[in-house]
Amino acid sequence: MNLIRSTGQQLQFRLGRREKQVLLDLLGLYPCLPAARQPLSKAGGLPDAAGSQALLDEALAEQRRENRGQLQALLADPRRFQEQETGWRLSLSPADLEWLLQILNDIRVGSWVLLGSPEGRLARLDEKTAAHYWAMEMSGQFQVQFLEALQDPN
Amino acid sequence: MAQTAAPELLPGTVQEAEEKPRSDLEPGYTVICWNDPVNYMEYVTHVFQIVFGWARRKAEFHMLQVHEQGKSVLVRESMEKAEHYVHQLQKYSLHATMERDK
Repeated sequence: MNLIRSTGQQLQFRLGRREKQVLLDLLGLYPCLPAARQPLSKAGGLPDAAGSQALLDEALAEQRRENRGQLQALLADPRRFQEQETGWRLSLSPADLEWLLQILNDIRVGSWVLLGSPEGRLARLDEKTAAHYWAMEMSGQFQVQFLEALQDPN
Repeated sequence: MAQTAAPELLPGTVQEAEEKPRSDLEPGYTVICWNDPVNYMEYVTHVFQIVFGWARRKAEFHMLQVHEQGKSVLVRESMEKAEHYVHQLQKYSLHATMERDK
């Protein structure tokens, strides 16, 4: 995937045919992070801790529902992916890209959690872990390229 | 924290939170980001810039603190604002919590 054009309003990427399919396959995994995974506090001692935690979980769950709808709308929009001779052109606004980074990181971190949250290299791959490992690594690759595009659009 | 490229940290990097008078830091709750081996350093820096509106140097300083020391106190705020920031950081799938300031 390469950034081919950038204006203040839009970024355009060129993707090969397989790259596009990989991106679509990845995005199809969203949401990947288990719901209510994160505590609001480690030490505890917050006033109405249970209520605050419930509000946070609810807000994150609502966010995911919105994200899923937004993702479906984005993928269904024919202006986003336009077929070219050698692949596809993906057009995104900076806000789309920023949002897509969140989606990809949910997939990356969620896949890592599904792998058992390994601290270092994964001991071994098998039929079950290979798919999560693939998703973690590939979402990371797209993240890195999108971050580069946001930071240095020229 | 997963590494992409090592960002340059210049001497004298912003340490405003530690240098402000105590009265500015009173609100009572700290927002902390914890290290994990999966979020890319570049991504964490980017999220800090977006969520807090920080300059890149300050965002990198806190990212490196997370990476090297296991955590970084990002802001001290009222409970409501701290909750807001934790929500924002968790929305980006970072490992963030809020704690009572001691």
